[in-house]
Amino acid sequence: MYLKAEFREKETAARAILGLKANGFGPDALDVFSNEPVEFADGVLDRPSRMSLVVVASALTFCMLAILFVRYTQYDYPLVTGGMPLFSFWSTGVVFYELTMLGAILSASAWFLWESGLVRRRGSAPVPAVEPGVICLRVRCEEEQTQLASRQLEQAGATRVTKL
Amino acid sequence: MNNAAQDVRRDLWRPLQGVSWRYLAVILPLSLVTLWGLIAWGYQLHHGIGVAGIRRPVFWGFYLVDFVFWIGISHAGTLISAILRLTDAEWRKPVTRAAEAITVFALMIGGMFPIVHLGRAWIFYWLVPYPNSRLLWPNFRSPLVWDLTAISTYLIGSTIFLFLPLIPDVAQLAKHTTGWRRWLYRRLALGWTGSDREWHALERAMKLMAGIILAVAVSVHTVVAWDFSMAVAPMWHSTIFGPYFVAGAIFSGIAALIIAMAVIRKTMRLEQYLTPHHFNNLAKLLLLMSLLWTYFTVAENLTAWYGNEPKEMAVFGARARGVYAPYFWTMVVCNFFVPFVLLGIKKLRSIKTALIASVTVLIGMWLERYIIIIPTLSRPRLTAAWGSYAPSWVEISITVATFTTMVVLYLSFAKLFPIISIWEFKPHDRVSES
Amino acid sequence: MGAKVSEHRWGMAIDLDRCTGCQACVAACHAENNLPVSNPEQAAKGRAVHWIRVDRYYEGEFPNVRVKYRPVLCQQCDEAPCEPVCPVYATYKNPEGLNVQVYNRCVGTRYCANNCPYSVRFFNWFDPAWPEPLQLQHNPDVSIREGGVMEKCTFCIQRIQRAEEDGSSDIQPACVQSCPAEAMVFGDLNDSESNVSRLAGSGRATQLLGELGTKPKVFYLERAK
Repeated sequence: MYLKAEFREKETAARAILGLKANGFGPDALDVFSNEPVEFADGVLDRPSRMSLVVVASALTFCMLAILFVRYTQYDYPLVTGGMPLFSFWSTGVVFYELTMLGAILSASAWFLWESGLVRRRGSAPVPAVEPGVICLRVRCEEEQTQLASRQLEQAGATRVTKL
Repeated sequence: MNNAAQDVRRDLWRPLQGVSWRYLAVILPLSLVTLWGLIAWGYQLHHGIGVAGIRRPVFWGFYLVDFVFWIGISHAGTLISAILRLTDAEWRKPVTRAAEAITVFALMIGGMFPIVHLGRAWIFYWLVPYPNSRLLWPNFRSPLVWDLTAISTYLIGSTIFLFLPLIPDVAQLAKHTTGWRRWLYRRLALGWTGSDREWHALERAMKLMAGIILAVAVSVHTVVAWDFSMAVAPMWHSTIFGPYFVAGAIFSGIAALIIAMAVIRKTMRLEQYLTPHHFNNLAKLLLLMSLLWTYFTVAENLTAWYGNEPKEMAVFGARARGVYAPYFWTMVVCNFFVPFVLLGIKKLRSIKTALIASVTVLIGMWLERYIIIIPTLSRPRLTAAWGSYAPSWVEISITVATFTTMVVLYLSFAKLFPIISIWEFKPHDRVSES
Repeated sequence: MGAKVSEHRWGMAIDLDRCTGCQACVAACHAENNLPVSNPEQAAKGRAVHWIRVDRYYEGEFPNVRVKYRPVLCQQCDEAPCEPVCPVYATYKNPEGLNVQVYNRCVGTRYCANNCPYSVRFFNWFDPAWPEPLQLQHNPDVSIREGGVMEKCTFCIQRIQRAEEDGSSDIQPACVQSCPAEAMVFGDLNDSESNVSRLAGSGRATQLLGELGTKPKVFYLERAK
């Protein structure tokens, strides 16, 4: 089941999160909903990301594919270049650069859609309605832990704690 | 705090509600001019490109000037969004979406010109590598094919760069609208809930995209510049063109942004959000870019003049003293003297003078593209082939129509989406009016 | 697909001391190659097409004026600046050294014309039209170019092809054939015995804008100054 706690400041929300984590709630059970991004200090609610790695890897892949594409098609098609070399790396270097960047762009947006969860199949977790200026913390907990969690949240300074 | 946030939302959502008679009075005539431009293009497609003023030896005219001009304007978003995002400049926040919108629409307009200027525009797609039964392939060596890849990449990147930060805002809008708008916003919101995972992913993506877009934008205008500098034509074959054009693009981009912001500030009553502080910073950036542009212009012209190479001097003479001198010196006044005086003297710097300076800069930058393209082509190496150029009504119509198209697209965008990014604009960031 | 080694490498020598500037070559080229006819209004706009043209330069003051004529046509450069910039490979050097223009492939970007230092490329701004009865005079060996396509001198490639089919070795483009002063010589630069090779190797041979490194195959013979 899910608990929803509303906070006015990110410091109180951070305090609540740390308190819950100390009591055995993992980051997977915690979700913060807000109308603006909330920046917690390091260590409060870190979400490790592989986006940079994915983007760099995709960019390099696109670069290699672009070079291979240009090189092999220049030879496959019966081009008459009249003495100009069929494949000229520096003359076509710009094309490789742009396609590399295209790879980075497409992978950044695709990975964003994946990592944010926007394209993954929705779970059954209820989404709380958030008003502007409010930080909403959703805690997934078992029946037995509800009391403990609620007390933690109220102690930390939640303005309202309800069941979702 | 809650009230402040509600106020922000109310103010920034107000322009989206309904269409006033003033809005229609602006957008309808402009749409008619856009339509006229399309008719002119249709006329050109039907009768042949000879209805334009281009001729031998000036094979490239207004269309290429417009092409470089609009691709240059598209660097508005690059500077504001990318550079200022990467340097965490807080004051950029109300300005980013306005800038990114300019980028996307300017690219769409500019990207039309490589098609419009073709002799056989209906087969423009032959520049795209696709398998075909005639075993034909484009020439990747050609700067025009570089243009194709660069502008396509930039357009895709800018559209994504505009769209991604829009998601949280449309998610909010979807909850508070009805009818077709609700359907549109819900589709675009992609199921955004505002969870911290989504926010983290978005911010990470935006940071990465900012760096990538910056790299792409620099390359795009460099590639456009290389359309000219890769040719052996006198005063085109210059190594300075790449950086020169990028600097000029950012310059014209900031000018376009200042104009857009000044207009939406007044018409959408956003005085509290786009404050004199923002205009002051943008005006200083415009001044900086003006000085940079002047430096590049002096460097290019001084070296050509000092070198005294006959073919280059023919072009330089045409620019500085000959037939094109009025345009050249108007350009210098518009791009250097006016911004220097209006923006350099602190007492004179205000929103109004920034707007005046920006308009003159746009005029000056359009003239700069003209001065770069036409004199060189009119003074080829063999003197017997010298010629001149005068635009026809077709070219003038299409050029004017691009400006009205830009305004129409921009106004339509501002009616559908909040022009200031609400989630990036936290209430306590709002700088009070001095 | 490397460059095929061909037996021929076509070149031309034009003797500027013999040229009288009569422009018979210009008229012959028009007739041979179905060049579009312009009108006064379009010609004033710089739209007239002359694959070969005679440039006139005046030197000195009256009464010591000298006029110099130079017929300029496509130089069929070995390192043509027009070739790398065409986005669709509509222009390239064929194995016989001719810079060919493929009309059907041309999309009309006109970059090649901007990059040609000799300004020898011409564009079809409209679909061509001929005043009656000139359309009856068309050469069936030469295709009509539609509007939006670039064209230029081909060294009368149709005559070269005809000669190769017939097995004859006497090939003269229309301009060479029509010159009354016999100022123009056409032939195979690969053949060291041919007239054009001899003339190209002579002390009077110069190249127009040779310093650009285009390696033109048209040699202008003039008295050394």
